[in-house]
Amino acid sequence: MIGGRLLALMEQLGGMSVLAARMVWGLVTLRADRTEFWRNMYRVGVKSFPVVAVTAVLVGAITVIQTGQVVAEFGATSLVGWGTSFATLREIGPILIGLMFSGRVGANNTAELGTMVVTEQVDALRALAINPIDFLLAPRYLAIIIMMFMLTIIGNLMALLAAAGTAYVLLGVDMRLYYASFAELIELWDFFSGIIKAVGFGSAIALVSCYFGINTSGGAVGVGRAVNSAVVASAVSIFVLDFLLSAMLP
Amino acid sequence: MATEAAPAPQPTQGEETPLLHRFLEGVGGPFTFVGREIFELIRVFALTFFYLFYRPIRWREVVRQCYEMGYRSMFFIAVVMGFLGMIMVMQTGLQAQKMLGDLSMIGALFLQLLFRELGPTITAAMIAVRVGTGLAAEIGSMVVTEQVDALRMNDAEPVQYLIVPRVIACLFMTIVLTCIAMVISFASAMAGAYLMFDLNPRTFYNTDLLIWGDFITFAMKSLAYGIVIPVIGCHAGLAAFGGSEGVGMATTRAVVNASLGITFVDFALSAFGFVFIY
Repeated sequence: MIGGRLLALMEQLGGMSVLAARMVWGLVTLRADRTEFWRNMYRVGVKSFPVVAVTAVLVGAITVIQTGQVVAEFGATSLVGWGTSFATLREIGPILIGLMFSGRVGANNTAELGTMVVTEQVDALRALAINPIDFLLAPRYLAIIIMMFMLTIIGNLMALLAAAGTAYVLLGVDMRLYYASFAELIELWDFFSGIIKAVGFGSAIALVSCYFGINTSGGAVGVGRAVNSAVVASAVSIFVLDFLLSAMLP
Repeated sequence: MATEAAPAPQPTQGEETPLLHRFLEGVGGPFTFVGREIFELIRVFALTFFYLFYRPIRWREVVRQCYEMGYRSMFFIAVVMGFLGMIMVMQTGLQAQKMLGDLSMIGALFLQLLFRELGPTITAAMIAVRVGTGLAAEIGSMVVTEQVDALRMNDAEPVQYLIVPRVIACLFMTIVLTCIAMVISFASAMAGAYLMFDLNPRTFYNTDLLIWGDFITFAMKSLAYGIVIPVIGCHAGLAAFGGSEGVGMATTRAVVNASLGITFVDFALSAFGFVFIY
C-alpha cells in the first residue's frame, strides 16, 4: 500500500514536471494564445479581487486582535506596528491570500478544464490541429502567476490598513505611531520576501490546477474528484513551499 | 465557466438601457447576490436543525462518514500542520534572536497562539479544502445524475437522508482532527526549535501563558467551524445544476464560501474573545 501510494505520487510529480516544461516552452516560443491570455487575466484577477480584498481586511484585523493582549499587557504600543506588519508581509498575507486564491482561481480553473476534457472539447481542439497546451494551459499558467503577484501586493496593503484601523479602535494606538513603527523597523526586504513567496505559491497553484484539470476522467463525478484533489494538492504545496522558502530567504 | 465570458462590451444600439439603470444594477447586484447566498445557507441550516431533532438519524451513515472525513483526511492535515509548526517556530525564533536575544518564551507564546488562533482556524481551513469540496462534489454529482430526485420520489427527504449524517460526522471529526493537528503541530515545533535553535524541549513545553479562556475560545471556534463547513459544502452541492460543469461550479463555490465563512467566524469569535474573555 505504501509502495502504491509512493508510485502514484511520483507519477503525479513527473506528470507535473513534464506539463510545466511544455507550458514554459509554449510561452518562451510565443506560441501561447494572446487573446486567451488577456481574457484569463481579467477572469483570474479582476473577478477574484473582491474575495481577496475581504480576506485581507479580515486577516489584518485578526492579526491585531491576537497580538492585542500582549501589547495591552506590556504597554508595548510602539511595537504593534512592527509586529503585525512583519507577520502580515512575511507569512500571513501570502499564505492566506494564496489559500483563498487557490480556492477561488485554482478550483475554478480545474473545474473548467475538467469540464472541457470530459465533454471532449479538448479532443475537438486536437482534431482541429490546435495544441491544447498552447491554447488552453499556457495562457492560464502565466495569468495565474501574474495575478497572484499583483493581488498579494494589493492584499498586503489592505491588510496593513485594516490592521492600523483595528489597532486604533481596539487598542487606542494612534495611526501615526503605527506608521512610524512600521516605517522604522520594516525593511524593504520583508516585503520582497513575501512577494517571492507569493510568486512561488502562484506557480504551484497554476501548475497543480492545470495538471489535475487536464487529467480529469469519468464524467461529472470525475470533475468533482479532480477539483477536490487539486485544492488539496495546492494547499499542501503552499505549506511545503512556504517552509522551504522561509528557510532559504534570509 | 462559459457564462462569465458572455458579457462582452455591448455595442451602442438604440434600445440601450439608461445609464442610471445600469449603475444601480452594478451597485446592487453584488449585495443581492451575497444576500441570497446567506439566506439560502440559513435555510439549509434551519432544515438540518429541524430534521436533526424531529426525525430519526441514520447512525450507520454517520459512522461511515466519520471514516471518510476523519480518517481519510488525517494524513493531509498532519502534513500541513507539521509544516506550519516548523514555519512558525522558525520565523518567531529568528526574530526573537534578533530583537530580544532570548528564546525561552517562544514555546509558551506558540502554545498560546496555537490554542487561540492557529490550531482551530488553519485546521478548519484545511478541512474546508478537503471535506467541504468533497461534500460539494459528492452531493453535486448526486444532484446532476438525478439521484437526489430519485430519493424525493421514494419519499426520502434529501436533507434528512444525506445532509444530517454528514453534518453530525463533520462536527465530531472537526473537533477530533483539531486536537490531533494541534498535538502534531506542537511536536513538530518542538523538534524544529531543538534542531534549529538548540532549545531544550523541556524549556519549549511551557504552559505559563495558557489560561482557561483559551480553552473556551478553542472550543467555541472548533464547534462553529464544524457546523459552518458541512452546511456550506452541502448547500453548494444541493444547489448544483447542469452536467459536469455544474459539479465543477459547485465545488468552487463550496471552497470559496467555506474559506470566507471561516474567516468571518474567526474574526467574530476572536473579537468576542478579546472583549469578553481576556
